[in-house]
Amino acid sequence: MPNIKIFSGSSHPDLSQKIADRLGLELGKVVTKKFSNQETCVEIGESVRGEDVYIVQSGCGEINDNLMELLIMINACKIASASRVTAVIPCFPYARQDKKDKGFFDIPVDNLYAEPAVLKWIKENIPEWKNCIIVSPDAGGAKRVTSIADRLNVDFALIHKERKKANEVDRMVLVGDVTDRVAILVDDMADTCGTICHAADKLISAGATKVYAILTHGIFSGPAISRINNACFEAVVVTNTIPQEEKMKHCSKIQVIDISMILAEAIRRTHNGESVSYLFSHVPL
Amino acid sequence: FDKHYRLRLHGMFTESAKRHSSRMNVAKSGYRVFSANSTAACTELAKKITERLGVELGKSVVFQEPNRETRVDVKESVRGQTIFIIQTIPRDVNTAIMELLIMAYALKTSCAKNIIGVIPYFPYSKQCKMRKRGSIVCKLLASMLAKAGLTHIITMDLHQKEIQGFFSFPVDNLRASPFLIQYIQEEIPDYRNAIIVAKSPAAAKRAQSYAERLRLGLAVIHGEAQCAESDMADGRHSPPCVRNTTGHTGLELPLMMAKEKPPITVVGDVGGRIAIIVDDIIDDVGDFVAAAEILKERGAYKIYIMATHGLLSADAPRLIEESAIDEVVVTNTVPHEVQKLQCPKIKTVDVSMILAEAIRRIHNGESMAYLFRNITVDD
Repeated sequence: MPNIKIFSGSSHPDLSQKIADRLGLELGKVVTKKFSNQETCVEIGESVRGEDVYIVQSGCGEINDNLMELLIMINACKIASASRVTAVIPCFPYARQDKKDKGFFDIPVDNLYAEPAVLKWIKENIPEWKNCIIVSPDAGGAKRVTSIADRLNVDFALIHKERKKANEVDRMVLVGDVTDRVAILVDDMADTCGTICHAADKLISAGATKVYAILTHGIFSGPAISRINNACFEAVVVTNTIPQEEKMKHCSKIQVIDISMILAEAIRRTHNGESVSYLFSHVPL
Repeated sequence: FDKHYRLRLHGMFTESAKRHSSRMNVAKSGYRVFSANSTAACTELAKKITERLGVELGKSVVFQEPNRETRVDVKESVRGQTIFIIQTIPRDVNTAIMELLIMAYALKTSCAKNIIGVIPYFPYSKQCKMRKRGSIVCKLLASMLAKAGLTHIITMDLHQKEIQGFFSFPVDNLRASPFLIQYIQEEIPDYRNAIIVAKSPAAAKRAQSYAERLRLGLAVIHGEAQCAESDMADGRHSPPCVRNTTGHTGLELPLMMAKEKPPITVVGDVGGRIAIIVDDIIDDVGDFVAAAEILKERGAYKIYIMATHGLLSADAPRLIEESAIDEVVVTNTVPHEVQKLQCPKIKTVDVSMILAEAIRRIHNGESMAYLFRNITVDD
């Protein structure tokens, strides 16, 4: 493909390499480092004049450092006369803080969905999937969960918090029947994992035979890993929007779905001016 | 000249303080001062400034969540008020920048009237020029601050004065030199026998402005520092420079001659004098240590370094401790308590006075000219 360059920030070089491999390209040469006073320094190592540039940087790890690095790389490419600069941000940082203002951008945004990849994983890895039940750990995820349940033609359930009186701790209430079923918890991100671990306990005591958790972004900060190790999950499945190798060493229950092909296909289609909406319901080969 | 200047500097501030404290009771609110730093070491300067102003630091909570996202919560109403955000830049630069941006934006969306950033040491100021295919980060930062809602910035000793041009709003670039000059006059017993030194030709202008105000001589250090390894037969001369004359491929442009770096040398006489090196930033101290070596060799009997911003990264404290430098004097624009513990040669000069005065004058709409009275063109 002519006139296209892909650069990787330092947050997730593994994913960037996978994306580049799928596109049959080499990653662009760029040097990112920090001076001794911890200021970030970026130097693009090849010409980007007139090129369609994609920069892959995920909002994980040291978020502020990675964000600054991304901004500086974008700025450097613009100054070096790139014809278009697109940021590929698999896990978008600070998305939870402004729940009211989600999606306030002046520039085009393509929000891809992991759903097709999740469906594929369920069919290939959970033998009893035809009789399973998809569960949302909170009321907010109901739409996401029903969408998956419909495509698999299975039932769904949800857990919501009920507060009886002002000073009482929230109770978790299960809405739906999970007796003798394999339960699959689905959510967009797992940070400290308090909610999903409680949900798993609830499901087991309500009669579920096995509990899986499938989460798009596995942030796993704080006590998350020890909570998962102590909880009763069959498996905790995340995508590779955030690097998981280190965490997998400490927790054998974590499995990873590779979504590099979705991002690579999105890049290819954007570059060729084709529609990206095909990816909302299909996983590229 | 000197005595009058010193007394006036002190008098100006104490008078204003008296006037202001009575005024404060009359016009109660109107401005608030916040700090966007999350660590205690960084909020020290903000506390000093608010003490001098006689106000309380605004209530806010700034912290890092477990997933490393920064969270800022402003706990009081700022509607229609002028807000000053004091932000010091510690080791974790990018987080400090993010904290400032988030707080500024939070205040903007909460309808603050003016948002003035007080950023004594302005970060990324060394990345202010195009370097191959780099980014002018300083310009990027200026754009981001404007977008986040800042309407004015107070800073100190910007690395390059031209950086003021990157901003679309006013920038007040205060100077620390009156305080450092006062330190020289009060704390260096024999200062009349001193000579001001620039550690490289680039620093000559600033050194000259100090020399002029103190009525002292000037010296400039020039050339490449030797690699004084013990392998070298004669440490005083670098090996002959091999000029690169490989043929160029068909372009008819003339080859640029590589600049030959002469061995390190001191222009000016430092024999039997106290050498005072002045600079705006002291970060990597390799150059300073090398300069101190050569000055000692040329006869200087004491070596001081005066710098506004004491970043002192990496090994700096250890290298200073082991070097020929007698004392390093920096201001409290950048927190450096850790480095002070490692190296007792480091001394601090408090500049909260001038920052507080600048805040007061901006709020009252008074002229800032008085703060720049004794600054020369080259400072």
